[in-house]
Order: sequence, then structure tokens, then C-alpha cells
Amino acid sequence: MPTMDVDGKKIAWDGKKMILQACLDAGMEIPSYCYHQGLSIVASCRICLVEIESPDPKDPAKLVKVPKLVPSCQTPAVDGMKVHSISPKARANQKAVMEFLLLNHPLDCPVCDQAGECYLQDYSYEYGRSESRFEEDKAKKPKKDIGKHVVLYSDRCIMCTRCVRFTREISGTGELAVFGRGHREEIDVFQGQSLDNPLSGNVIDICPVGALLDKDFLFTQRVWFLKKTPSISPFSSGGENISIEHNQGRVYRIKPRFNADVNKWWISDDIRYGWDFIHNNRLQTPAAKGVPQELSPAQSIGQLDQAVKKAAATPGATVLVLNAFDSTEEMFLAAQWIRRIDPQAWLTLAEPKVEGQDQVFKNPTTGAVTYTLRAEKAPNRRGAEKVLAKLAGNVCKLAEVEGKIKAGQVQTALVLADPFGHSDAALQTAVAGVETLLVLSSRPDGLVSQASLVLPVSTWAEKSGVFENYSGLIQAFKQAIDPLENTRSTGSIFWDLMDLAGTYDPAAVRRMMSELGLAEYATVALPEHHEKIELMQFTDL
Amino acid sequence: MAFAGPVLLKRIPDDPAKRKLINIDEYMATGGYESLRKAQAMTPEQIIQLVIDSNLRGRGGAGFPCGSKWKFLPKDLHPRYLAVNFDESEPGTFKDRYLTEYDPQVLLEGIAIAAFANRITTSYIYIRGEYHLQAKILEKALEEAYAKGIFGQKIPGTEIVHNCYVHRGAGAYICGEETGLLESLEGKRGWPRIKPPFPAIAGAFAKPTIINNVETLACLPYIIEYGADWFKSMGTASSAGPKLFGVSGLVHKPGVYEEELGIKMSTLIEKYAGGIKGGKYRAAIPGGVSMGVLGTDQYDAELDFDIGKKYNVLGLGTAGVIVMTDKTDLVVMLRNIVRFFAHESCGQCTPCREGTAWMHKMLNRIVAGYGKPRDFDLLMEVGLSMGSMPGTTICGLADGANWAVRTFLEKFPEDFKARLKSDHVQGVTLDAQAAAAV
Repeated sequence: MPTMDVDGKKIAWDGKKMILQACLDAGMEIPSYCYHQGLSIVASCRICLVEIESPDPKDPAKLVKVPKLVPSCQTPAVDGMKVHSISPKARANQKAVMEFLLLNHPLDCPVCDQAGECYLQDYSYEYGRSESRFEEDKAKKPKKDIGKHVVLYSDRCIMCTRCVRFTREISGTGELAVFGRGHREEIDVFQGQSLDNPLSGNVIDICPVGALLDKDFLFTQRVWFLKKTPSISPFSSGGENISIEHNQGRVYRIKPRFNADVNKWWISDDIRYGWDFIHNNRLQTPAAKGVPQELSPAQSIGQLDQAVKKAAATPGATVLVLNAFDSTEEMFLAAQWIRRIDPQAWLTLAEPKVEGQDQVFKNPTTGAVTYTLRAEKAPNRRGAEKVLAKLAGNVCKLAEVEGKIKAGQVQTALVLADPFGHSDAALQTAVAGVETLLVLSSRPDGLVSQASLVLPVSTWAEKSGVFENYSGLIQAFKQAIDPLENTRSTGSIFWDLMDLAGTYDPAAVRRMMSELGLAEYATVALPEHHEKIELMQFTDL
Repeated sequence: MAFAGPVLLKRIPDDPAKRKLINIDEYMATGGYESLRKAQAMTPEQIIQLVIDSNLRGRGGAGFPCGSKWKFLPKDLHPRYLAVNFDESEPGTFKDRYLTEYDPQVLLEGIAIAAFANRITTSYIYIRGEYHLQAKILEKALEEAYAKGIFGQKIPGTEIVHNCYVHRGAGAYICGEETGLLESLEGKRGWPRIKPPFPAIAGAFAKPTIINNVETLACLPYIIEYGADWFKSMGTASSAGPKLFGVSGLVHKPGVYEEELGIKMSTLIEKYAGGIKGGKYRAAIPGGVSMGVLGTDQYDAELDFDIGKKYNVLGLGTAGVIVMTDKTDLVVMLRNIVRFFAHESCGQCTPCREGTAWMHKMLNRIVAGYGKPRDFDLLMEVGLSMGSMPGTTICGLADGANWAVRTFLEKFPEDFKARLKSDHVQGVTLDAQAAAAV
């Protein structure tokens, strides 16, 4: 493995890499604004300039000092090279660039959403000078509403052009461009157009400063109050890695989490802005035929237990309808429980919604696929299918349930409803005329009013588990916030019904699954955050 | 043998009244396109060797040896393009305009020779956006040349059909920077590219490209005709050949004059430009404002490619001399120069985008009479952090701005210090200032 010396530290890397990338991968930070691993290199912010000594091609033992500062983002790392990012010359440049960037920056951090996760703040602290020597008038630039989700504060912009490159290279839509020249230049959309593509929200993430902000998140929370929980998108079969950012039991935003094999740095706007259902329109009390019931958790699951046991008197008279939004563990527990009561109980899956075809985004120049928007709008169809295949026996299609009910074969249906109501219509038809309808739902609509017993359950943000994405990748998500009052997760309900000791433990369920032959569930790595390298060092006063 | 008379300007009379556009027939009648025929009898390697032997250095500003530039083209990588840099936007420079306005065919012959020597498929003459008339002249000249079969024909001995087009810029100084020019040629923003890849490997439309200045190409027919030794007989050891000098500013006869490289600036001003007008020589810009300024004691500076090292300027540049006298306000002059750079900075690199605008605002304040003593050092520091040579930015515009500011401050500190007063420091009220004045 080639190695180089960066400020006295040995940095090793694999293959062809630029100095900056090799350093970042080794956990060492060289300041940079315009560089983003997922975008082309422009080397225009000029803060990443370093001094290098390169091995002489004729005599590799000899190091030749390059007279000028070179951009580390654009200079390939060479075995045996020496890099100085904290030499007086490099430091002087960092200081100068910081001063230049802040000349016309409004310094309105107290009212800026980016404060706390702003590279200008971080680098100013680390590399800048304590006061500005600029005493002329600052340039004033407008605020612009450039798209459905994004607002642009031109005066805070440092012209790194990451957003412009994103729309050209990742979404391939090219709505953004640089207008004007020199210090008067601004980012803008073309006249009569707006930043409107299914990936538009990503420009907010890649903006290193507070120029591109999220309308949805604008002025709702200071970022330093937010806690991040690694999670997996529940909106489609892609298995996009996300992090749920929340405070005091409330979700404020969803951000992508880097995963080179799945979604890289990006997520679609559906994922970013689809989390409304966590807090809105929630079912909070058990109900019977639409009438809220005062039941303790123990009483409510007792009723469920009784109803299913009563139905089990006739073998094969019960049907369990799964949905592809619950974690695999939960579906496994539910199916196991119902089969324990009635080994001939029917199992089925409410088919997830498929919207058209997968939407593939490509880099118009290279043709490389940058992002795929999955048409299947549920995260865990494969997990559900695996449970059904494992337990086998009486498994049928949802469409067949209707016939079984009409024929009087099935009298009781236990439905795990999906949080979005995608399969409501299909479920209505399927369970019409069933004698006893039992529903676990997170929202108060759908089958709720006609069910003889409804138990409120929590959403994916309030529990942990695993999803299996379209390609069979099993990924774990963590619980971000506490379950809404009076709700509990589907998993914990069936955990109690199974009379298992302690509280619901998805890892224990996965062990049970692997013992039954689903070996791939034995070792599921829990997600971790790729946090930004810690820069700030606070001194005790 | 020294300089015996105009070479490039030999068809253009000194008397402005007699000057007129030379069409292709007149051009051919005076020996035009003979060199092309002679070149076509040679092999490409011979021509390139001849150009290398002649020590022809680029006339666009950097003075890079032309033959070496041609040799950078990768072998057997086709198509190849030639971009002719006719952006000529450096203040004080108008030599290419003058040459092409009267004798456009010499440029076209040079292009044809370069195309033959380098097996060029397409040549683009990238002409400055503001040059409306010159673009029309060139287009007409090109039409004539096409009619005579100079372009649009197979290059002898190859299957390559060589075409030549005039491409008009949209009015940006930065598009005179070679990679900015290529971006603009491709229809993009004129933002200079990061190198590598160099244009010789992947230039216009990602194909190998040579970029040559108009005057460089116009030298080719004469080198072919008279040989490398004749060319080297003019000028100095490092700077061979004749050169067009544009003289402007406070002289009696501003204009374009041809002389050999290495002549003294005083000779140029006194012998050709009619001497200093209304005052005493004080300062001069040797070749476009980005080169910096020559001091009062540097009147006799030799104008050749070594001028940079000898006289603390960036270089010869385009050899567009701007003369200033003791009546010139050098602070205002520098303000105007910096305004130009602030206006023309492409805005790609942080130091140049912010630094030029900052210096402009600072100089505006100084000119308005509100300069402070610390502004002198601050100007110097901002200039330096934007980039001395070699610079901290992608292209050389920031270097140019820095050289202008730095040399003005270094060579004429008293002009600036006289404007910087300590009595309006921060925190001192106007009342206090007024009281102090009484």
C-alpha cells in the first residue's frame, strides 16, 4: 500500500486517490469547501492548498519541493510524497481564504439555520483570524425562492458550485447555474424555471454554508439540539440509509447517511419530506367498531389473544395479513404466534404499492448511474416474503382471502395495517364480510372503523428492527424517538403474546429466525454514523 | 544584421491616410501565400524544427516557445484543433487588431502553415467580442481564402480537410486565458480549467489543441520565407525576431510600431511615438496592465522577454506600452487598473473573486480621500495572498492584479502614502477631526 507523510503522519491509501481524499479516508482533515467526493473536482475554493515535496521520478529517494501551493483536492497522492498542510505558507493561505470568504458574508449566524453545522464557522474558528480588516460596505445580494423545497440566501453563498455540479452531474437536470461574473456572481435558476427534481433536497446537504436552506426545516430548530439516529428509509424498497434528526420526541428532519453501496450521499425528496406520518394523524387508543375503548395494554392484547384463540377452534379459519412496512422480526413474531395457536392459520401479504417503474438518474456526461428511485413504495417486501416462505403451510395471496371469507372458510382476520394506507382498498375488498376483524394500525383511518378490535401501534421511527431491501441487503435501523403515548410497536405486542421474557428484543428474534434456518439474520450489523471529524476543541475556562 | 524595416507591417504604410485593407489578390501579388507553398514542400517535422530553431516565442504574453508547444501534441491522436487567440483584451494592447484590420491574410497564411505542420483538422479564430469590424474583415478575408482553396481542402499528403472558422467571444477578458478561451469556444462559461489535462492533450472538445496568438502565427510565413537565422538576427539571444509594440498613454503619436525585441523603451517612445506629451516621463506599463509598472528610473528598460527579472515586473506581456508622466495620478491609475480586474475576474477562485473587489473598494476609498496608513500594507498583503508568481489560483488573472498593485506600491510608495492620513482613524468623531483641523 502506498504511503505518504502528511504533517508528520503516515497516511496510506489504496489505488488512485487525490491527496485530500486519501487524508479524509484516513481520518485527517484538510479544510475544503468546493470538494465533494460525489462530484467532479473544480479546485476553486483554494482553501485546501498545501505544500508538497514529490519524489523525483529519476531518483525516487530524492524529494523535490514544488514551488507553488497545490490544491490537495486535485493533486494525486504519490507514494513517498511529503505534504505540509500546516506549514506557515499553507496556513497563511488558509487564513487569507477564510478572510476573503467572510468579506461579504453577512455573519448573521444567530438567525441562520446552518449555524452549528456550518463549515464557515468551523473553519473560521480553526483557520481564520479573529477580526475582519474589511471596512468597506458589504455586497448585498437577495434571498431567492428557487424551488419547492429550497430557499437560497445569496449573500451567504461562497460560490463553491457544489449545488450547480449536483444538478448537472447527479440529478442530471441542470436547473442551477452561476449567473454574473466576479464578485457580483450568484447562483440562480434560469428564468421561469425552478429547482424541481426528485433529488432537489440534496443541494441543501451539500451546501457547506447557510446559502441553500430547507424550507421545511427553516427556523424550526437549532441544529445543536438535534440528536441523530441512524435509520433506514421506510418509503421505498431501496433501503436508503438515513439519519433521523429529532429532539424531545419530535422528528425535525431526515438527512441521508453515506452508504457507498446503496444511496451514496443522496436521498430523494420523498424520503426527506415524507416523515409527516410520524406525528400527524395517529391512532392513540384501542377501539372497537370505531368506539374508543379504555383498555390497559395488558387488557388489549388479552382481547386480541382471546379473539384469535376463539377462532382457532376451527383450524384454518384465521388469516394474518402482513404488510411490507413492518420489520422482519415483527412479521416473524406475528406469524409464529398465530401458527402456534392455529398451525393451519392462513398467512398473506398485502402487496406494496408499485408506482410506475424505477426512476434511474444518470450523469449526462459519463452515463454512470447516480441514483435510483425505486418504484416499490415499501421497505421490506423481501423480509415479508422470507417469513412467508419459511413458515410455509397455508400461505395465500391477498386476493384469495376474499373467496375464503365468502366461502365461510375464514372467519377471523388479523390485519397489520401499513402506515400510509397504500393497501387500504385491496384490504377492504379482501376482508369484506369477515366475522371478526382485528387490526393493528398506527393511523385512525382505513379498516379502523369496522374492526371489532383495533390496537394502536408505533411507526418505524419509534422502534428498531431490520428491513431487507430490493437486492436482499438486510439493514438494521435504530429507534429514534419514544413511541407515541398509548402506542407500542407491533413487535412488542407479539413478544408479549408469545410470553417471551423481558421486553421486545429484535436481536433475540433474529437469533430465533437464524435458528430456524434464516442464517442471514444471525449477524446484522447495527448502523453507525459517519460523523464529521471533530474539529472543535473547547478549553475549560 | 539587425532590424532593417517592418516585417509584419511591411504591407501597411506608416501614413494613416494611405492605409487600407489588403485583399487576397494584393496580398498574393506581394508574395503572399508563397511561404505556404514553400512550407507544403517541406515535411511537418522540418517546419516544426525550423520554428524551434527560429526561437519564436509566443507573442500573446507568456512568451512560451512556439515550436515546443507544438511538440506537446500527442502523436497519432486526431483530430487536432488550433485555437487562434485573438481575444486581445489586455488594456493597452491593440497590435493584433491593427495587423488584422489591414492585413488579415498574413494571419490566415500563418494558420494554414501551422495547420499543415501539425495536421490540424479545424482552426478556430477566437476573436474578442468587442471587435465587430475586425470580425467582419476576417470573415471576408476567410471567404477569399476559401475561394482560393487555402482552406476547405485536403492538407497535401493527408486525408485531413482543414477548415477555419471565426468564433466571436462575448466580451470577457478571462476568455483570453487559453483554457477560458476553450471553455468559451465550447459554449460554456469562460471559466479557466484546472490542469492537467493540458490543452495539448485534451483541449477544445477534449481533443488535442494548440492555442497560438495572432502575432505568433503571423510570424510563421516570414520564418518559412527567410529562415531561422534571419529571424534570430533580430532581437536578443533569448528573444528573437520582430515584435509589434503598441504605445498608448501620454505620447504624441500613440500607435502600433514594429521593432526588434530588446529595444529600449525610451527609443520606442522617442523614435516612434513622438516623445512624451505634456510633462516628464514618470512610469510606464511594459505590456498590458497585468505586467506591473516600470519605475521612473526604468525608462531605458529593454523590451524583451527578460524584462521581468531585470526590472521587477511580471514580464513583457503583450508589449502594449502605456506611458504615464508626472501629471498622471498614479493612485487613480491603479484604481482604474484594479477596477478592471475586479470587473473581469471570472469569480471561480475565492482569492481572485473577493480580493480584486476588496482592493477596488479600498482604492476607491483612498481616491476619495479616506485612506488610512494601514491601507498600504493591507493592499500589499491582499495582493500577495491573492498570488504572486506562482499564484494560488487556477489561472493568472489574480497574479496579474497582484503584480499591478504590488509594483505600483513598491515603485511609487510616496504617491500612495501621501493619500493615507492618520486623522480619520476609527473611533475618532468628525467633530474631533474638525477641531484638530482648526
